[in-house]
Amino acid sequence: MTTDAGTTTDRYAEAAVIAAADGRGEPGWLRDRRAEAARAFDATPLPTRALRPWRYTDVTGLDFGAFAPTAAALSIDASVPDGAYTGTIRDALGAHEALLRDGLGSLTPATEGKFQAANAALWDDGVLVHAPARTVFEEPVLAELDVPEGDAAVFPRVLVVAGEQAEVTVVLRLRSTDAPLLAAGVVEIEAAQAARVRLLIDDRWGADTQDYTTVRARLGRDADLQVASLAIGGRVIKQTVEVTLEGEGANSAIRAVALGDEDQHFDFVTLQDHTGPRTTSDVEVKAALAGASRSIYYGITRVGEDAAGAEANQQNRNLLLSNSSKADSDPVLEILTADVIRCGHGATVGPVDEEALFYLQSRGLDRRTSLQLLVSGFFQTVLRDIRLDGVAEELEETVFAKLARAEL
Amino acid sequence: MSEANGQESAQPLLEVRDLRVSVAADPEIEIVRGVDLTVRPGEVHALMGPNGSGKSTLANAIAGSPEYAVDGGEVHFQGEDITESTADARARMGMFLSFQYPTPIPGVTMVNLLRMAMKARSGEEPPAREFLGQLREVLQTLRIEEDFARRYVNDGFSGGEKKRAEILQLGMLKPQLAILDETDSGLDVDALRTVAEGVNALHNPKMGILLITHYQRILNYITPDFVHVLVDGRIVRSGGADLAHRIEADGYDPILQELGEPAGAAT
Repeated sequence: MTTDAGTTTDRYAEAAVIAAADGRGEPGWLRDRRAEAARAFDATPLPTRALRPWRYTDVTGLDFGAFAPTAAALSIDASVPDGAYTGTIRDALGAHEALLRDGLGSLTPATEGKFQAANAALWDDGVLVHAPARTVFEEPVLAELDVPEGDAAVFPRVLVVAGEQAEVTVVLRLRSTDAPLLAAGVVEIEAAQAARVRLLIDDRWGADTQDYTTVRARLGRDADLQVASLAIGGRVIKQTVEVTLEGEGANSAIRAVALGDEDQHFDFVTLQDHTGPRTTSDVEVKAALAGASRSIYYGITRVGEDAAGAEANQQNRNLLLSNSSKADSDPVLEILTADVIRCGHGATVGPVDEEALFYLQSRGLDRRTSLQLLVSGFFQTVLRDIRLDGVAEELEETVFAKLARAEL
Repeated sequence: MSEANGQESAQPLLEVRDLRVSVAADPEIEIVRGVDLTVRPGEVHALMGPNGSGKSTLANAIAGSPEYAVDGGEVHFQGEDITESTADARARMGMFLSFQYPTPIPGVTMVNLLRMAMKARSGEEPPAREFLGQLREVLQTLRIEEDFARRYVNDGFSGGEKKRAEILQLGMLKPQLAILDETDSGLDVDALRTVAEGVNALHNPKMGILLITHYQRILNYITPDFVHVLVDGRIVRSGGADLAHRIEADGYDPILQELGEPAGAAT
């Protein structure tokens, strides 16, 4: 680690990035990529609200210099089948170098945007999950990132490569203190023919974390991807999940829940890009908003010319638990073929159903307890396809604890 | 038949005095226009009346629905004036409303709701073994499959399942007063018998029942001590079980004619 990098801003500069790579003893190709990413970071402006995915989230005032790139504690717990690899990217650099070289940045190039460039230049360590063809992980891979410091920046990096008919579930759990933190994650998922990949992003960020994360996946023939995201903590959560449904019959489901209070700001962007025939996708983003919290959903279902017989559904539902909470919803369909089975989208924004509330109150639950139960129930569908021991119960406990204090 | 008959001295469970109720969103329209009603422990009162007479409004207002506004009169429950109490406070005191149209609560299982409701009522989580034992017993009484309790409350239930689910909650919560709002509607004969027999099995000398129905047929299974006829927001006739039989035979028209209302205007 370099200690002579000067001011914090300089730590995002090419020289510091190269020095850090050398300090970690990284191979030349990776060092070169980081240098290129640092240049891209320098050359790329922050996105402005003129860009549609950034319409409701203003980051133009964000000062990277206020956040020092930091090595966070990364722990990985997995029972790895024969022939597979799960561990840190750093440990994989010897034996799995070709895989990393091909995989890292293949779906999310550093030149794509400010946050992606920062990540590519500065990720300290990351997670590689490699499930070769026909490898089945019986247990989920648990990767936990713990950031104990404040005024820091972290760049979580995950690469999942699933071969033909491979199956793996990855849980990414993110923790920080209540001190200011900037996180810019990049998750890339390659799922080959008939692979099944599940990803749960379990965010337990502290009160002053800003998280700008990109998840991108490419699905081969009959591949199946389920992404579920639990957004509970943090101050600003901007999560972009983009899936290219390339192989015939590929399927993706993207689900997210956000529970807001005070001035929390959630912004979900999804892209379901159907390029292969008979591909199917499903999106369900739900927010329950207390205090002056806010949720935004902007999603595009794109059905390309060659995606005959595609089916897609995207739903965004927002429960306003207080008078000053707010939700904006913008689901979009772009259909370029006449041969579509079904393409649905819907959005709702509104208060809690008074009839449901009365029903629960008539059973003796006070108003707050009734709301806790309704929101907890509202969120259960996010875990419909990712069944992990204890996660549903933990989500319920989290909802109850947060709404016990929330301004309703 | 209840042994409470003739025990006029027993403290009333429910006392409704000159109750006037309108829709909260539209206070111009008074639906319940001065109702008096006293239910004592163990008694079964049937409240009958043509559609639109205000039966469900009265039931919901007694249970404390915020959809309705009390414009006048009082509701006392177990000696306490609850006219201003919230629905949940009334429920914790021992009141139970079986809904005419039970609301789906997606994502919340019946077991979860029952546990929380019992905890709200008694102040502590019911012990797991006791809870499951009681649940099994009530499910058997109502001839409901055990996995039913693992389903989300009223979510995708058939009409009959919804009504059984209401009586299941009645059996678990053991209220002092059960208000059954058209529990018979939407049930075929077999389901009606099962539900009615369930109510009878769960009824005890301490529990009062206010049974709201349009038709007499549920009264073939649950014998009322008192029958009241509500027309246009007022109780216009009160009597014993024979009053219900007369309505079954002749409909509401004779009563409406005596009142000078246009016969057949409300059926």
